[in-house]
Amino acid sequence: MIEKPYRLPARLGLLSAAAAEPFLTEDLLKGVEGHAGVDLDKVVEPSDDDDPRWEVEPLRDLIEDAMHAFRDNRTQADAWLAPRLHAALRLTRREAADRRLWNHLALAVAPDYVAWRHYSRTTSRIGPERFRGALDRQCFSRLWWAAEMFRDGGDYAPVVAACGNQDLIHSALRRELIDHRPTAQALVRVLERGIATTGREIEGLMTAINTVAVTVVYDAFAPDLPRDPDALGTWIAEAGNATSVPRHTLPYGPDEDPAPPESVEALTRYFIDLFETAPIRGRESQR
Amino acid sequence: MKFYPYKRLNRPIALRVTSASLKLPDGTRDHLDTSAFSVPQRTVALGVAQHDAWVSARIGLSATLPPGAMADDAPWSGLRVLVMLTDGETNVRRVVDLRQDAPGSKEWSGTVELLRDEHVGRASLSAQAVATVDDVPGRSIAETDEDWTVDVTADEPLGGLRLDVKQVGFARSSRAWLQAYADVPWIVDTSGRVPAVWVNTDVEGFSDLLDAENGGIENKVHELLVSQMSTDVWTAVFHSALGDLEVEPDGSPVFPTDWRGEVLREMLPDVAPGAHVEEALRRVHRRRTGDAGWVELQTRIHYAAVRRAGAGKALSQALRALQQLNRGDKA
Repeated sequence: MIEKPYRLPARLGLLSAAAAEPFLTEDLLKGVEGHAGVDLDKVVEPSDDDDPRWEVEPLRDLIEDAMHAFRDNRTQADAWLAPRLHAALRLTRREAADRRLWNHLALAVAPDYVAWRHYSRTTSRIGPERFRGALDRQCFSRLWWAAEMFRDGGDYAPVVAACGNQDLIHSALRRELIDHRPTAQALVRVLERGIATTGREIEGLMTAINTVAVTVVYDAFAPDLPRDPDALGTWIAEAGNATSVPRHTLPYGPDEDPAPPESVEALTRYFIDLFETAPIRGRESQR
Repeated sequence: MKFYPYKRLNRPIALRVTSASLKLPDGTRDHLDTSAFSVPQRTVALGVAQHDAWVSARIGLSATLPPGAMADDAPWSGLRVLVMLTDGETNVRRVVDLRQDAPGSKEWSGTVELLRDEHVGRASLSAQAVATVDDVPGRSIAETDEDWTVDVTADEPLGGLRLDVKQVGFARSSRAWLQAYADVPWIVDTSGRVPAVWVNTDVEGFSDLLDAENGGIENKVHELLVSQMSTDVWTAVFHSALGDLEVEPDGSPVFPTDWRGEVLREMLPDVAPGAHVEEALRRVHRRRTGDAGWVELQTRIHYAAVRRAGAGKALSQALRALQQLNRGDKA
C-alpha cells in the first residue's frame, strides 16, 4: 500500500496536470508504490509569498487523524474531513477553482490518503481522477467544495449531513442547482427528514427539481442574500493566527449570514411536495 | 422547441451591458470606458484598465421586454425581471432584480456586482422575466436567448476560445516537466484552465519569427506557422473536451460549462454535420466510447480543426508571397 511520502514539501504549491502525468504511474494507481518526492518537487510551481495558509503540516496532521479515526469505515471520513479541511485550508473560490493546488495536495502531500480512501477493491485500482481530476471528483477538492456549497454561513452542520450521504454529494456537486444556497440547504433538510434518502430517490428528486426549474425560477420566491466579501476576507486573513481545527467539535466557518430561513423553509416544503406528487423514478412506492 | 403548460411571451428579452466600473483596493472606483464591452460579441472585458488588483466590478444593465409583457390583459401578475450572474467554474450564482424605468415601460435597468475573488475566468449574465401565472409564483415567462459573457481578465471584449501562449526555452526551463519536450518547437497543453501553447524559444530565431509583424515573407511564414499551431490546438482541445465528459445516469453526455463546452459547440457542426449540437455530442460520444466509428471520425475532427485554424488562407498567402519572391529574383 502507498505510505506517507518520505519527503514532504513544507508548503503547498501548484502542480499542473501535464507536469503531474509522469508521476501517475501504474504502480501508484494500483496502490502498490508511491513516487519519489524529490523529482515531483522539481515540477511544482512554488506558492508565491509567505502566506501561512500554504503550510503543509497542519493539513497533513488533519489527514492522518482522519485515516486513524475512520480506519474501519473510510467512506465516513468524508463527513468528518470535509468541514475540517475547509476550515483548515481557507481559500477564496477563485483559489479553490485552481486544480493545480489540489493536484499537489493529492500527489505530494497525501497520496496515501487518496489510496486509502479511493482504492477500489473491484478494479484493484485508484481512479486517476482522484489525484488530478474534475473538482467534483478529485479526492480533496470534492470535499472542500462540498463544504463550500453546503455550509450555511459559518455553520458546517449541513455539510456533515450532506457528506454523510455519498449519493447526495455525488449527484449534487455536478449539478448547478446547489449554486443557489437555499436550494442546497433545503436538500439537506429533505434528507434529514428522511423523505428522500436512497441514491435513486435523491437522483430522482434532483432530476425533478431541475425539470421544474425550466419553468419556475426558485430565486423568485426563495431569494438568497448577497454574500458579504468582508466576512470571508477577514476569515482568510486570520488563517495565520487560527488555532488548529478542532477534532471533536465542528469548526466555525466564515462569519457570513446564513441562507434566509424563510427561503430554505419554503423550498423544503416545495421539494417535499414535488417528491410526493411528481412522477419520480426510483421512489420506493407511489405514496 | 420547449412546450410550457402556461402562457408566456414567445420572444426573448434583449439584455445590454451599459456600463462597467471597478472598485479598487483603496476604495476608489474606476469607470471603464465603452471599449470594455462589445454588444456584437456580448462580452465584457474587465481587464481593459490593466489594474493588477480590484475588489469588485459593478456592471450596469438594461433589459427590454418583448411586446405583450405589459399588456393589460396579460395572464400574469407581479412581473419582475431578474438578472443571473453565474459561473460554472466557481459555482457562483448571484441574482438581482432590475427596476422598471417607468410605470408601464418595457425597459428595465439595474446593476449587478461581481466579486473578483469569486471568479477565475468567465462568468455569464442572463435575464429572466418571472411572474405569478395561474396562481403559480416564480413562473418564467421570457428570458434572454443568448448570455452575455463577463471575462474578469481579458483586456479586449472578444468571444470564442481563449488561448494562453507562453514562450520559454524548454531545455533549461524551471518547469522541469517541459525538459522532456526539448526537441520539439511547440507543445499543446489542454490540462489547464484554458488551453496553452508552449513555444520553445530554444529553437533559434523562432520567437523573432513569431513576433514578426514587419510584412514580407517572414510574416507569411509566421501566419503559416500560427495556423499550423492552431490546427494542433483545435485538434487537442476537441479531444480533451470529448475525453473529459460527464455522463448522466442514463448514459447521455453533458455539455461542459467551461471552454470545453465552447469548443464542442463550435466544432461539432463540422464533425457531425446536419445534427443539432446536443444530438451531435451524443453521436460523437457514442463513437468514442463504443466499438466502432471512432477511427472514421478522425478525418472530420481534423477537417474541423484545419478550418478553424485558417490553414487554407495562410497557405495560399504564403504560396503567393513565394511566387512574388521568385519573380522578383528572376527580374
